[in-house]
Amino acid sequence: MALENLAFLIPVLPALAFVITFFFGKNMKSGGAIVPILAIAASFVISLMITLGLLANPEEVVTQSVSWFAMLNLGVLIDPLAAVMLCMVTFVSLLIHIYAVGYMSHDPAKSRYFAETALFTAAMLSLILSDNILQLFVSWELVGLCSYLLIGFWFTKPSAAAAAKKAFLTTRIGDVMFLTGIIVLTSDLLKIAGGIPEGVYLLRFNEIFSYIPELSAMQANIFGTEVSHLTIITLLFFGGAVGKSGQFPLHVWLPDAMEGPTTVSALIHAATMVTAGVYLVARTFPMFLAAPDSLMVVAYVGGFTALFAATMGIVMNDIKRVLAFSTISQLGYMMLGLGLGATIGMEAVGVSLFHLVNHAFFKALLFLCAGSVIHAVGTHDMRELGGVAKVMPITAVTMTAAALALSGMGIPGTSIGTSGFFSKDAIIENAYLLGEHSGNWLPYVFSILAALLTSVYIFRLIFMTFTGKPRSNYGGHESPSSMTIPLAILAGFALVFGGLTQTGFMSFLEETFSNNFVNVDIGSLAALGGYELVHATGHEPLFILWLPLIVALAGLGISFVLYYMRAVDLGGIASEKNPIYKLLYRRYYQHELFTEFFSIGIVYGVIAFLAQVVDVIIDSIVESISIVTVAAGEALKRVQTGVVQTYATVMIAGVSLLIILVKLIMEVL
Amino acid sequence: MDELMYLAPEIVVVATGLAILLAGIFLSPQSKNLLGYLATLGVLAALFLTVKSFELLTMQGFMVGYSIFSDTLNIDALSQFFKLIFLVVALIVAIAAIKYNENSDHTEEFYALMLFATFGMMIVASANDLIVLFCAFELASLATYGLAAFEKQNPRSLEAGMKYFVFGSVSAALMLFGMTFVYGATGTTSIPQIAANSGLLTSSPIGLVAVVLLIAGFGFKMALVPFHMWAPDTYQGAPSVVSSLLAAGSKKMGFVAAFRIFIVALAALQPDWQFAFTILAVVTMTFGNLVAVSQTSVKRMLAYSSLAQAGYIAMAFAVMSPLALTGGIMYALAHAFMKAGAFIAAGVVVWMVTSEKRGNLKIPDHLDNFKGLGKRMPLTAFSMMIFVFALAGIPPTAGFMAKFVLFSSTIAAGMTWLAIIAILNSALSLFYYARLVRYMYVLPPEGGKVSEPFPYAIALLVAVAGVLAMGIWPEPFVELATNAAMVLF
Repeated sequence: MALENLAFLIPVLPALAFVITFFFGKNMKSGGAIVPILAIAASFVISLMITLGLLANPEEVVTQSVSWFAMLNLGVLIDPLAAVMLCMVTFVSLLIHIYAVGYMSHDPAKSRYFAETALFTAAMLSLILSDNILQLFVSWELVGLCSYLLIGFWFTKPSAAAAAKKAFLTTRIGDVMFLTGIIVLTSDLLKIAGGIPEGVYLLRFNEIFSYIPELSAMQANIFGTEVSHLTIITLLFFGGAVGKSGQFPLHVWLPDAMEGPTTVSALIHAATMVTAGVYLVARTFPMFLAAPDSLMVVAYVGGFTALFAATMGIVMNDIKRVLAFSTISQLGYMMLGLGLGATIGMEAVGVSLFHLVNHAFFKALLFLCAGSVIHAVGTHDMRELGGVAKVMPITAVTMTAAALALSGMGIPGTSIGTSGFFSKDAIIENAYLLGEHSGNWLPYVFSILAALLTSVYIFRLIFMTFTGKPRSNYGGHESPSSMTIPLAILAGFALVFGGLTQTGFMSFLEETFSNNFVNVDIGSLAALGGYELVHATGHEPLFILWLPLIVALAGLGISFVLYYMRAVDLGGIASEKNPIYKLLYRRYYQHELFTEFFSIGIVYGVIAFLAQVVDVIIDSIVESISIVTVAAGEALKRVQTGVVQTYATVMIAGVSLLIILVKLIMEVL
Repeated sequence: MDELMYLAPEIVVVATGLAILLAGIFLSPQSKNLLGYLATLGVLAALFLTVKSFELLTMQGFMVGYSIFSDTLNIDALSQFFKLIFLVVALIVAIAAIKYNENSDHTEEFYALMLFATFGMMIVASANDLIVLFCAFELASLATYGLAAFEKQNPRSLEAGMKYFVFGSVSAALMLFGMTFVYGATGTTSIPQIAANSGLLTSSPIGLVAVVLLIAGFGFKMALVPFHMWAPDTYQGAPSVVSSLLAAGSKKMGFVAAFRIFIVALAALQPDWQFAFTILAVVTMTFGNLVAVSQTSVKRMLAYSSLAQAGYIAMAFAVMSPLALTGGIMYALAHAFMKAGAFIAAGVVVWMVTSEKRGNLKIPDHLDNFKGLGKRMPLTAFSMMIFVFALAGIPPTAGFMAKFVLFSSTIAAGMTWLAIIAILNSALSLFYYARLVRYMYVLPPEGGKVSEPFPYAIALLVAVAGVLAMGIWPEPFVELATNAAMVLF
């Protein structure tokens, strides 16, 4: 089919848009925004058409592959997993680009902004449709670079520059783990295949998956315990995902990343880039399935992150920071969903990705609404807001819709509910299954408590911002239509997308690993890991089905009492004197612990010392080389006298010398 | 009649040259500007015909060659590949020269000479007989002597042409001398016949003398040390478009002639010339890079860098494996794009300095005139940056791919020491290339923004496209070069 042949254009178009906008954007209207918008719109259309084709026939995935430069390979793989991500990323990115035309209209460097977001979109799309792990890694790094550039977009602001550096270095820890995983994987594969096979690219996903049994059989001895190589590789991959997706303990960069423009926060730090980690785990999910220990780690880390971030979310006063912690918490849910694969098998990918897509809609919406408020009012601090609903009714309504989706309001057992309800409740219920099945109850407890706190912090945000009386003097107006139209579209999706696609979505994604490209047998993978899968879901006790809604309503109630009715004076509780509040407000002292003590104190100190010593050594080596080189050049330059006679002499002398030299050496040899 | 068909590209080039020469007599200087476009069209047509000719060479998936005109000319993958190189250079030069010759009274002479030189190079690529080869060699040389001295009012240009001519004549004499030895020993001038009789050459010391004399003759065109002395003066003094033709095009003529003569005709003497080329390659690349470091004239620096590049290509003779020849042939094409582009970019700066009458007028291509070029002429500066990075061998450019193939073949052949010398040389070369980039992008500009003339911009873009295409998508080029290398085995 002709359309499938265009698949490679999906990342190429935004990449071209980057080049055009970067070089010529300054002279175009509104920073050349139209170029990336058109390019991403085209990518979106292609993605959507391919997805529709795939929906009709999920067995026939799109693959394109060209070998590049002997050992490397550039390829495209669009299976249900990639298709869903492609549509989501292009769609959200498109809306945010349109919104940014209004939001960035006063910024003098807007052409740079649009160029960088276009490059980011290209990198993210290329990451999604990679058919091999190496190309995925290259795009992964490019995504990280774009994130760095965009967080530090206002690089003259010291806090922005610091945040960009922090994000780059923190995610770098994960990247190094990811790369280590790829190196271990490659060397193992070369060992298994006995060298580089002709015409086969070992790092393509179908090749990797076909070697899972051999990888699982390879054992390594670490501190006296036998660990399979597969477990090591998957844990290293998960390490990369932890960095990129802001899981505990590498989540510290994400709240600071809010220093960038709000549109960047919405695009990168809510909807797309941070989901790359989740995507990585989903992409390599067959490997995780055969390594149940890794899956358990994923489930515990995810569950803990969901709760941990939510506790901090309830005390933040900066509107964007509340959303940042909310993002970390929701990413934790997605990871938890994947970790549940130990019980529910391939369904875990469907459940997790469903939440990922729904979250992308309502979190992008939350950020854009926050951006709309900040754009109009000029402050981030919720303590200075209040009563904004009167001046910005559209923003207030759309943001409330997003809040309902985030807290997961809906009626169990029916198909009435917001997007978040269908996906988050599915994760929580499956976490219950995990507890019942394997006795690991902690992830379920984490997730249900986090659901309560989620509801508290998001309605606290709504009540503090939109209701009551203004707590400071701000002038404000509703945002222009280029900003409110994306809000309205996203609000529609946040409310109904989950309900409309619930069953179809999950069964579509379950097809990801059984098609003409890869065909893995779930049962045998699980057997490799030595556990059994549960197939009968949906038979949980009624109470368990209703519990998430009950806690969400409870959270709404708490916020209503505290922040709408103001029934209790919070001054005493929310003060630095209260140790719990202080602990939460100071974010568990992570900044002091990680950044100031560990990073700056120890690591930086050691590096600074080493750098001084090494500098002296290297400098002297380099300088002496350059002195010798330049001196030799100056001396040899004098050979060139400019006199033709000399030239001819040198030539004849050269001929004679060469004859003698060759003759002599030939005789000797 | 059939045999002429294989020479269609050459015929188009010569016919265009003659038509331009004739038309020039009747045209005013203003309307002569049209001749540049005519020449460009002619070169494009020849380029198209050459690309088409690869179809003739493919039979049931195999590459075949044809011998025409009583075995005096060869049409095979090697000859067509080098014709491609010469025509690409001719195209870039022809486009840039549209501006260079604007409103000049001598436009038709420039283009006729340039096209005849290109024709000579193309025949050298096909030559299968020493006499044909020598005549074509001299045709190309004589035409370029005139071009080097094209600015009759400019003493530097005259000096360039004069030195080139004197040195070229001495080299031609040496080369002819070498050929007579070969003829004397084997009794034939036909390259396949020489190969068949080469036992007669190895039995006497005459063989060695002939090899060294021929190396000197071709080494002059390739600009190998110590036959390079003319190159810096000529490349610097000649008009930039001509330097571009000399460094990127006519240098490769020396290589293709050497490929045919040494590898095919004198295969029996391989130990001798292999060793000679090993010495020359090492000396040339090291000398070129060391001296380039201390140059302040950009064209002179490019001339020395061009020596170094010739040293890299000569490694193909030193290693003599199919992969090494593939690398050498690829390098020839890569170098054509990078060097042609770099000299044109320098030419744009010379044009800017002379037309603005500010900056260092005495040496218009002085480094100081490149200060802040990134702000003054963004396109030129950017292209120049791509070219010098390609010359230094930084991915994803043509220079990197060619170096990669060539150097890895050297290691594969067990000559790791040679590869290490070459890689250290590449590292050294980055010093002066990066300095140029620093001048263009870090130092503050001296003067306002200037917009490049359209022909220069197009010529630069063609070269940039070539450099990047080979770097990002090397497969088709590797395949072409492999086919070309296979002709020699």
